[in-house]
Amino acid sequence: MTSSPVLTDTPTQTVQAFLDAFARHDVATAIAAADPRVAVTVHPLGIHATGTEVVDDVLTDLVRAFPDLMISVSRVIATGDVVTALFKAEGTQAAGYAGAINQEKHLDIDQAWRFTVADGLITEISAYWCQAQLYRRLAVKRYAEIAIA
Amino acid sequence: MTEVSTLPRTAESAAGVVTEFFDRYRAHDVEGMTDLCAMNAAFSYPPVELWGKQRVLRGDGKVRTIGKPLWTGLIASFPNLSLAVHTVTSNDDGDVVAEVDIEGTQQLAWGLIAPAGRHYREPHLFIFHVGPDLLIDSITAYWNDAGISQQLGHTEVD
Repeated sequence: MTSSPVLTDTPTQTVQAFLDAFARHDVATAIAAADPRVAVTVHPLGIHATGTEVVDDVLTDLVRAFPDLMISVSRVIATGDVVTALFKAEGTQAAGYAGAINQEKHLDIDQAWRFTVADGLITEISAYWCQAQLYRRLAVKRYAEIAIA
Repeated sequence: MTEVSTLPRTAESAAGVVTEFFDRYRAHDVEGMTDLCAMNAAFSYPPVELWGKQRVLRGDGKVRTIGKPLWTGLIASFPNLSLAVHTVTSNDDGDVVAEVDIEGTQQLAWGLIAPAGRHYREPHLFIFHVGPDLLIDSITAYWNDAGISQQLGHTEVD
């Protein structure tokens, strides 16, 4: 499914539109705020790629694995064309995620996403969170045996 | 002792304070880093989380009581600790965001990680706030601690 580009006036509004849609689990609307050739880096997942399909995969995986996912944004900081969002992602695991089998554990992870915006569209995303915290909450014991409870 | 500036706070001067902070960090000048911070500057490193049987230690508090010992301990464990600042963006309200890679070779225990002489390099995102007096009054940083653990040969999540 595709959505029309989100028309906004400021970089903050563009990012806010992305975050609002993500919080509603509306992945199609979220990625409509991004340039088709958006550069995506998700440090904890080792992702360095381009294209909205990458953003689609990252968001869809989260929403699928944590159907009650709640995104609580604490700060949105605009520094020129760069907008940094600090938020907490919370949810209960219902499917495998990042190699971790579903043990119905609750997740709460503080994250920081840095966006670059040009001409009303997100052109770069860099996501930061601690995968050790994520695995700890999902009851993973060893990095080499993520799928073993 | 904190360093008081008479310059007005602008996006440029706030970014300058943060650049100086990282220059001092690279020089292992923890006192100098602290001097760039307000007396009661807030400190938050969300990835710092040590789970014990009856309590969890977190990297939250103040620069002078939590940040300074953490920086000192990190430099002691990684004597060749260095960093590369990739981007610094700022605004006239004193917000400064910096993308920084931190790296070092482990010589002493760090948290639960025993020293094995291994090297790590991990991207960090720092969010600062610089007050009207050009002193840093808030430091927050995010990174993937699992990446550091695995690079250092530590295979346990805890």
